[in-house]
Amino acid sequence: MSESAEILEQRIGRLRAAVRQAVLAADKDRASALRRELKQAEQAWEDALAQAETTLPAGLPDSPGTAPSQGPPDGPRTAPASLLPLREQIYQALSLLTVPAAPKLLATVHEAFFASTFPTAKVTSLKRDEERSFRTAPFARPYYVCAALTADLLAPARGLLAVSTWPMERRVIGPLSPRVDFLSAAIQVAAAVERLPSPVPAASRLLWRFAASIPGAAQDAARMDPRQIAQAAEAELQVHQSADSETRRAAAMRARAQLDDAEQLFGTRLGAAAQRVGHMAGRGGQGRGE
Amino acid sequence: MTGTEAWLARLRGRALPVRHNARTIAALAGNPGCARRAVLDAAGADKHRLAAYTGFPAPFGLSRFAITRGNAFEAQVKASGAAELLRILREHLSLPIPEASYDDLSEVGGNASPELRHARTRGLLARAVTHPAEAGTMFDHPLLTLRVGGRAAYLEPDLIAFQLGGQFRVIEVKSFPVVDGRADGDKVAAAAIQSAVYVLALRDALAEQGIPPEAVSHETILICPENFSNRPVAASLDVRKQLTVLRRQLSRLARIEDLLAQLPPGLTFDLDPDDAGVPRRRPAELAEALRQVEARYAPECLNTCEMCLFCRDEARGGTAALGREVRDDLGGVEHVATALRLARGTSVPERGSELAEAADLLRTAARLRADALGEAV
Repeated sequence: MSESAEILEQRIGRLRAAVRQAVLAADKDRASALRRELKQAEQAWEDALAQAETTLPAGLPDSPGTAPSQGPPDGPRTAPASLLPLREQIYQALSLLTVPAAPKLLATVHEAFFASTFPTAKVTSLKRDEERSFRTAPFARPYYVCAALTADLLAPARGLLAVSTWPMERRVIGPLSPRVDFLSAAIQVAAAVERLPSPVPAASRLLWRFAASIPGAAQDAARMDPRQIAQAAEAELQVHQSADSETRRAAAMRARAQLDDAEQLFGTRLGAAAQRVGHMAGRGGQGRGE
Repeated sequence: MTGTEAWLARLRGRALPVRHNARTIAALAGNPGCARRAVLDAAGADKHRLAAYTGFPAPFGLSRFAITRGNAFEAQVKASGAAELLRILREHLSLPIPEASYDDLSEVGGNASPELRHARTRGLLARAVTHPAEAGTMFDHPLLTLRVGGRAAYLEPDLIAFQLGGQFRVIEVKSFPVVDGRADGDKVAAAAIQSAVYVLALRDALAEQGIPPEAVSHETILICPENFSNRPVAASLDVRKQLTVLRRQLSRLARIEDLLAQLPPGLTFDLDPDDAGVPRRRPAELAEALRQVEARYAPECLNTCEMCLFCRDEARGGTAALGREVRDDLGGVEHVATALRLARGTSVPERGSELAEAADLLRTAARLRADALGEAV
């Protein structure tokens, strides 16, 4: 059901009145039919609300829900579980993996190696804050948590985060890149597990999640050898790497030639092109020359 | 708008049209003879709402917990470039190691409009066939279309895999468990027919570009959690039978005009909502309108159709309501009361009539039952 919550609220009110009238008129059939309508409308209202909640972060930048994050540019909200701000935690996890990754994986990595986790629901608003911060004062921060770009259309890749200081080649995602990045991440995680002075259950669990999907990496979770896992990942990496780096190099070249600074970090969106042109014209090339 | 379209729009009334999906197409194929379902679906009527309004709310629906669980399992299987899925495909289909590419088709350049996604899906799939060397392996959430009753329905399979030099395979991720190598038969059957819908849609999409149907395998892959864990496991489903049923049913649907021609003019399922959407139509009147379209109720409808309780109430006393097998066993007698009368011998059909043989058999059965149990029917 695609009706908006406001329309549904109106209808719910009117339905209640109609139920009351039907009951008072002793019209049983109609009253019970209307009651069921009312129930469905309330269900639809809940659904509309839940949907609005999930799409909110991707919505307009000035929607009321984002107001609190418009504070000072260097003060994003902190996750309750850690003293570090969310963007620092994401940066730590991304630096460990060295490849673009999804918020959920980053939260798991942070939990495994930095002993604290963060709610992934806040990540979308962080990304938007980063973009807004960059657009108002480009390159004012040492790094930005930014998007990975799809190799074909240079649009933000769905659900992947990256660091702005990484070379473009690492931030574009071709068809083989998810696998290559998965294997590279496995190698990094294996190395990090090896560096741990004593075994950490969360870290072992994470490593097993990688190992289970790499041929020849490990037999079972109890007898994993980080070095063997890294070797197996390296072996599969050899198979994909040349084709993947070729795609990535070409896409990165295109990105550097075609996109302005902000778009290189946060991607372009198809269909929003007309809007974006107007938007950029309005800014008078502010994003360039720094 | 053609005459048929206008007819269907009038039937639906002012409600928003409900779109077909693989589930509804599969349900239609489950009971091809039901004109009520065919007409309501073609008109895009909200059957759930109609059934509830007439006093027979459907006994099922998608629970929010089930949806969340399904989505979480799918996200897990597809995380990190579908790493878990890749492992399963390598084990199950012996997918070669270099085949690891993954294309996400759930949006195109940050834009999720169906037309764009459909165009891109078609482009990528056609390229996979014409240039197998640079083809992808996994296509996540492609968007296909299938013409149902003369209009295009958008369909979104979970994933399509393409094996180098081989065929396309439709992959369906479901969150019901496979315990000890066995899964709920009804759920597997539903998944099989849904997969068949996707296979058909994929074949249609490729046929438009001159690619033969063999490019899409009739074996689809079902991914489910294993036992009581979250670990995914794969099973192959042969959907040839479902494909035949579907094709026959879809060709039958094309004749929706014939079904409409039998309906009284001016028939509508409109709830007559006022400006705030509060329905003003009397439930009894709507029920009367629904009864104008012939239904073919069978107990299987209880699993798939929102109108099932309405139709069951209507079919009460008919032998069909007891299931197809019972109806056949009773020799095609339409009503339970008639069958009982024939068995008791209180009603004797003319010699040589259609019912004579059935009556003989029923009387014999009644006598045997009386002999065994010592009492009359």
